[in-house]
Amino acid sequence: MPAAARTYWLTSPCRIRRKDESLIIERDNAANVHVPVTDVRDIVACAETDLNTSVVALLNRHRINVHLLSYYGDYAGSLLTSETSTSGETVLAQARVAQDPHTSLAIARSIVDACAFNVRRVVDRKLLNRPYTVLQESIKNSTSQAHLMGAEGTFRRSAWEVIDTKLPDWLQLGGRSRRPPKNAGNAFISYVNGITYARVLTAVRLTPLHSGIAFLHGTMERQRHSLVLDLSEMFKPLMAERLLLRMAGRNQLKEHHFDRDTNQAMLSDAGRKFVVQAVRDEFAVTVAHRTLGRNVAYDELLYLDALALTRHCLEGAAYKPFRIWW
Amino acid sequence: MIGYEDVGGVHIKYLYHCRRQLWLYLRGIRPEHLNTAVQLGEAVHDTSYTRNTPVDLGAAKLDFVDGGHWVHEVKSSGRPSPADEAQGRHYCQRLHRVGIDAQGAVLHYPKTRRTQRFPYTPEAARQADEDIRDALTVARAPASPDRLARSACRGCSYTDYCWTE
Repeated sequence: MPAAARTYWLTSPCRIRRKDESLIIERDNAANVHVPVTDVRDIVACAETDLNTSVVALLNRHRINVHLLSYYGDYAGSLLTSETSTSGETVLAQARVAQDPHTSLAIARSIVDACAFNVRRVVDRKLLNRPYTVLQESIKNSTSQAHLMGAEGTFRRSAWEVIDTKLPDWLQLGGRSRRPPKNAGNAFISYVNGITYARVLTAVRLTPLHSGIAFLHGTMERQRHSLVLDLSEMFKPLMAERLLLRMAGRNQLKEHHFDRDTNQAMLSDAGRKFVVQAVRDEFAVTVAHRTLGRNVAYDELLYLDALALTRHCLEGAAYKPFRIWW
Repeated sequence: MIGYEDVGGVHIKYLYHCRRQLWLYLRGIRPEHLNTAVQLGEAVHDTSYTRNTPVDLGAAKLDFVDGGHWVHEVKSSGRPSPADEAQGRHYCQRLHRVGIDAQGAVLHYPKTRRTQRFPYTPEAARQADEDIRDALTVARAPASPDRLARSACRGCSYTDYCWTE
């Protein structure tokens, strides 16, 4: 991904307008911001956003996607540019791989394994040692995608329990709940997962892969970008679980960051801004890449993983899903 | 897949630079727009030599042709390479096929303020034809060619694709 362009995060209600060949972001209670369009790789809108046709035309020309998160903090949808990066031959190869039960199951297996590996790495290596060996065993014996996902769920449940032991009372998860998240911890995880999903979608859109043809999740099920669901599995622990534990450990998350009812919770305005900032900074963290021989940002790791999958589909090169190596 | 008439300058350039790159390019792997160096090159191209009109030959698009029928090609790099020469030769061959007797190629290297002239001889014509056939062979290969040595990939916009693991 280009070093020159960056992601823009909109955290307060605003209107995006086109001014000649560039963008203006208008906000109610603050001055307008002029943004050179070549500086934008994509936009994550975490608050109410207005835009019109002329903006969309400009965004499309520069291949900029806009990801929208709804009022409740869940992923609401994306404004995607036309599929200029997909290539017929790659998509066909991808479909062939996905249709072959043997190869697609192999990919699904390695995705589940890598995901669990990352969870264990982030949460607690010692306490999750046993669940992880159990999971590896059932991965070996599993015969279908549904079976794999069941095994992953079991592993995840023990991971959630371990996470609870490291959180203050009011942040504890008490099992994962979604739509709506039941408590503060779950609200945090859902929100960060939504952002990760959006970022992976951008990354996949830059590669020739089709975002709907998947290996672990059902292809195009419920009009979701299933491939993005597959690929974001490995990155969710890196962002969500890791940030939650870190921010709780540092006492950075406060009760006023959440709006809590008896049976549901969401991030408050202040909390949303705070979390988005934390996530944004986290995506910019760089690590030394072994084979590329340079530093890559977490953000770029998503793209590189999608490229590795492209290579697997097109050329049959071995695909090793992302594992935290540092 | 592409045929004899579809082979353009970029194909010939990639053929000399890296066969794997050509193979991938033909299969729709186009990461160039993500590369900062490429973006800079495009910007330089858009803003320099604006008085000359590019000539569009369908598959090939060359910078300009002067009154003496010499093909001019501006290169943003400082170091001449066989790929540049092959590209110029290919444009001459394309012009001959549409009935213009191109005299040869002039390659401009503004960075070092040098130009190089390559007259279009029968020998060059044979070579140009051979290049096109080579490109077609690479295009039809079912498996991708191997990667070059890692050091040869420096600055290539396909590096991320080829070397991520």
